[in-house]
Amino acid sequence: MSQQNWMLNAFVYAVLVFILLPILIILPMAFSDTDYLAFPPKGYTLRWFESFFASSRWMGALRFSAEIGLLTALCTTVIGTAACYALVRGAGGLGAVFQGLLIGPIVVPHIALAVALYLFFQQTGLSGTRLGYVLAHTVIALPFVVFTVAAALSQVDPALEDAAMSCGASRVTAFRLVTLPLILPNVISGGLFAFIISFDEPVVAFFLAGIRDKTLPRMMFDDIEQNLTPVIPAIAVLLTLLSIVVLLAGWLLKRAAERKAPAAPSEP
Amino acid sequence: MTLTQRGTGIEIRGLRKAFGQVTAIDHLDLDIHPGEFLALLGPSGSGKSTVLMALAGFEPPTGGTIRIDGEDCTHVPPHRRNIGMVFQHYTLFPHMSVLDNVAFPLRMRGVAKEERRARAAAALETVRLGAFGDRLPKQLSGGQQQRVAIARAIVYNPRVLLMDEPLSALDKNLREEMQIEIKRLQESLGITVVFVTHDQGEALTMADRVAILQSGRLQQISPARELYERPANLFAAGFIGEMNQLNARYDGARAHFSDGTSLAVPQTALVAPVPPGPATLTIRPERVRPVAPGSGDLQGVVRDVIYSGAGTLIIAELPGGTEFRARISSAGIAPPAAGAPLGFALPPEGLLLYPAAA
Repeated sequence: MSQQNWMLNAFVYAVLVFILLPILIILPMAFSDTDYLAFPPKGYTLRWFESFFASSRWMGALRFSAEIGLLTALCTTVIGTAACYALVRGAGGLGAVFQGLLIGPIVVPHIALAVALYLFFQQTGLSGTRLGYVLAHTVIALPFVVFTVAAALSQVDPALEDAAMSCGASRVTAFRLVTLPLILPNVISGGLFAFIISFDEPVVAFFLAGIRDKTLPRMMFDDIEQNLTPVIPAIAVLLTLLSIVVLLAGWLLKRAAERKAPAAPSEP
Repeated sequence: MTLTQRGTGIEIRGLRKAFGQVTAIDHLDLDIHPGEFLALLGPSGSGKSTVLMALAGFEPPTGGTIRIDGEDCTHVPPHRRNIGMVFQHYTLFPHMSVLDNVAFPLRMRGVAKEERRARAAAALETVRLGAFGDRLPKQLSGGQQQRVAIARAIVYNPRVLLMDEPLSALDKNLREEMQIEIKRLQESLGITVVFVTHDQGEALTMADRVAILQSGRLQQISPARELYERPANLFAAGFIGEMNQLNARYDGARAHFSDGTSLAVPQTALVAPVPPGPATLTIRPERVRPVAPGSGDLQGVVRDVIYSGAGTLIIAELPGGTEFRARISSAGIAPPAAGAPLGFALPPEGLLLYPAAA
């Protein structure tokens, strides 16, 4: 192996360590047997995981976050796929404008978006409601779904839908039976992304939280302010595991889809 | 399960299609007979594909009517037309097996699963791909994929089969094989076929009649032989095959050339009446007979001699600078050398006279 390759490898590993180290430090702290955060822990226990799952406060927040995450995933995939169809297949016109607007939530700092949504939701009474959360998270997660689905849709020949229609399918049926199955892996992985984005989202949740219903990240902030116990690293570990599982699922899904439609044609 | 069916006629009246300022089809009248194989031939931008898309229902016309089997279909959506269509790039559904692709139109018509599998298998048998039903489209070659697309288009006994340059993506040998195969299939099924192509050889080989389109207008519609032997106008004459074109002045009996020579024009040379005045005298290169310099009807100087196996092409220059071509059999006498003077005899039965282009 050449000198250059060796240095590149060393550099890549250094970056990986830099990124992963905080997560690795959190891991033992979640098992600390002290009532405060300690690193390295003196003894090990599963008590913080137990108290997380036993607490109705935490479980309520978990259920609330999951509900909002699932609804956000649903809204973004339906709206995102429809928007994508218009963007990729549409005859142009407002498409470019719409595309620019879509990038908005990525470019605008979340804190600015959160303040704007806060002011708007105060006026409309959406603050702290399920609907308010879902709307806000849909805005934030939509671009990721649109770009994931657009990548797949631009690979699908528009003439396939014409062919399906000449076979007797209506436009809706043609989309459902031909186009949708071809882009489904990307639609689902876009939905998984949206779920994770919503589930982990702290900034907008901070501004929108009501007194009763709080999302998991918001509840964690409350806890950090009031009584910092190792239950926080325990939840952090669980959230990290969830993210890994979801990303892995998305990856497996794409691989399965690629295997189903092999790229290389065989000889006649 | 048989696939025999009777084609139906199509009647197009005053069809017009405009895209903004651009007129793609300009008052087109066309009758397509039941069971006929009609080729729509024209250069790109001639409107031939637009006519097909209007027949299929994908391009709603700006004006005019389309009747299929006497029924007004002008504004019927594509999926209610019961028309088979084969596209340029196969357009098989990549996530379905070959058999499911062919069975798709039957599924759309609510045919029970067992029956549609049987009928799809029979259609695949018709295009000689009976053993390939379980494969995915990507596992087939281009020619096989297009045969699957044909099977999918005929499986539900459609009234008409529309084909949009279906062979243009295939290589030359496969294309010629498929031309014969499609023609044979059409004859055995008796189905009406409308076939769009820009390849005149393909149109002449396959079609019963050929319609030539230019700038959205019908130039000529005739049987293949007549189209080649007696083109209706100068555009058709120049578009199909090679044609020598000589500017002349017609006096009602003879064509006078600018160099003072003249040639008797037989009545058979007039496809349509030609008024006296500026005219264009035409003759196919294979009708021209090279003769000794000084004899024959025209004199020229040989520019190029191109040998191409069975035939040899002689390209000469006439006194006015006009290019003139003669095709002779390579098996005949040795061809003249470039630069040599040469005479050309123009047999009267090969001559065609048209009014000069405006």
